[in-house]
Amino acid sequence: MNVKEKRFIAVVAVIALIFGFTPVANAMHIMEGYLPVGFSIAWGVICIPFLVAGYMSIRKTLKENPKTITLLAMAGAYIFVVSSLKIPSVTGSCSHMTGTGLGAILFGPAAVSILGIIVLLFQAILLAHGGLTTLGANTFSMAIAGPFVAYGIYMLGLKVKIKKHVVVFLAAAIGDLFTYCVTAFQLALAYPSESGGVAASAVKFLAVFAPTQVPLAIIEGILTVVIIIGLETYAQPELKDLGYLTGGVN
Amino acid sequence: MENIWNKWTTIIRPKSKNQTGHSCDKTHRHHRAGHKHGQGSAIDFYAYISNIRHWNPAFKVTFSVTILLLCIILNSPYVSVAVILAMAYLTVVKGGIPLHEYLSILMIPMVFILLSTITIGVDFSNQSLGQYNLYLGFGYLYTSQAKLMAMVFLMLKVFGAISAMEMMTLSTPSTEIISVLRKAHVPKLIIELMNLIYRYIFILLDVYAKMKNSADSRQGYCDFKTSCYTFGSVASNMLVVSLKKANAYYSAMEARCYDGDLLFLEEDKKVSKVQIIFGAAFIVFLILLWIVTI
Repeated sequence: MNVKEKRFIAVVAVIALIFGFTPVANAMHIMEGYLPVGFSIAWGVICIPFLVAGYMSIRKTLKENPKTITLLAMAGAYIFVVSSLKIPSVTGSCSHMTGTGLGAILFGPAAVSILGIIVLLFQAILLAHGGLTTLGANTFSMAIAGPFVAYGIYMLGLKVKIKKHVVVFLAAAIGDLFTYCVTAFQLALAYPSESGGVAASAVKFLAVFAPTQVPLAIIEGILTVVIIIGLETYAQPELKDLGYLTGGVN
Repeated sequence: MENIWNKWTTIIRPKSKNQTGHSCDKTHRHHRAGHKHGQGSAIDFYAYISNIRHWNPAFKVTFSVTILLLCIILNSPYVSVAVILAMAYLTVVKGGIPLHEYLSILMIPMVFILLSTITIGVDFSNQSLGQYNLYLGFGYLYTSQAKLMAMVFLMLKVFGAISAMEMMTLSTPSTEIISVLRKAHVPKLIIELMNLIYRYIFILLDVYAKMKNSADSRQGYCDFKTSCYTFGSVASNMLVVSLKKANAYYSAMEARCYDGDLLFLEEDKKVSKVQIIFGAAFIVFLILLWIVTI
């Protein structure tokens, strides 16, 4: 083997390693320490209005009916557990749901923003997914942008009277994809490419994460539909409770 | 009272760790560095057995967050290496966390680190730029010494930041972190929710483990399609169970005179002068290191 061949094999091995690894990647939590200080603070500030709105809405619900505190807490724990479960996959590797679409459909986007930041904090503390300084950026992509888009699609779909399960699938899958695009954009803004600026960098990040995130989004959509079907079959009264909780449509 | 509480927590943690079928036995037996599951309860478990658990939680949280911020703000590879070493010392030597467990926890975000730093290290363009480039037909993939250095420095910074955070989470149980947040005047409603969510997570993991085991013993995960169906059914049933429990818990809390305030017994842990002096000295050392090497 000459040097060139050796080098080629090394490159192939690295690529194989990377793509062998990727299906393990879970939801796109930006890890601790990755974002420069300015960006960490900026994303945190952007989240504040949404969090304040969520806080107000939760406080109003609780004032009207204090009993909902345990319900809300259970909802938060549920989002945490669902997002930490291994989902079935063809290759036998481990990946996770984001749970953003499901959360938004069940509990409404306002409640999910507050529950989301708590869940993300616990994920950082208990699972080492994400981090404290990147909490703002992660909250924006996973607890605000994703759920709002998912909820918007869900409401829109119900209004134009597409079949409900199709709507749920679209809401969950597109919500997930949107989360992934927002994260790629956040990364690109922090580390723009020398030759092409933010846009080129965003393309790079999108491309690198696409092999994991696109199939995940589709699986997440399917799973969310299965969960919703299960709930419609067994849990009509509970769904009514949740509708009461958020003024949602279920 | 305190002793009983300590005993109780150390008994209950390993149990909840084993009961979550999420932590699969195979990975726990082999202790290899890599991506594993079930760390949820494992990290908490290590926080409870850590030898530096008796340190004042407010001190640990402030110290770790300060180091974390310094590591990011100073943005210097020397500082990052100093932080990595010091935090490993605190967690492994002082705290008594097994080294391979510590390493495997640090490895959790590895995939993301690899993918996102490679993206920074390698760039594409339609001209041949940089020191090394690879022609791909539609353009060039290129990189340079400076880019690769930046990539390695970023990796060091990330590991420094993660180890600073892990120093806190591997020595401070979540309830204590929450009580520190309460003292930092985070709104009461958020603290209340955090306390409840933290407790409910373990209850739900327990419910999930049982459902998963019974589904597994009935061939519920035999192929991809069945797995999807089982996963969905388990998740939806889990919501039903959790909502039923939520109502019962509210009644239970009310029966114990809950009126909107959850108060927990907290151990009073004193912070010693030596700790403060060492902490301050380390921070000064980091800043000096940064000034010297800039």
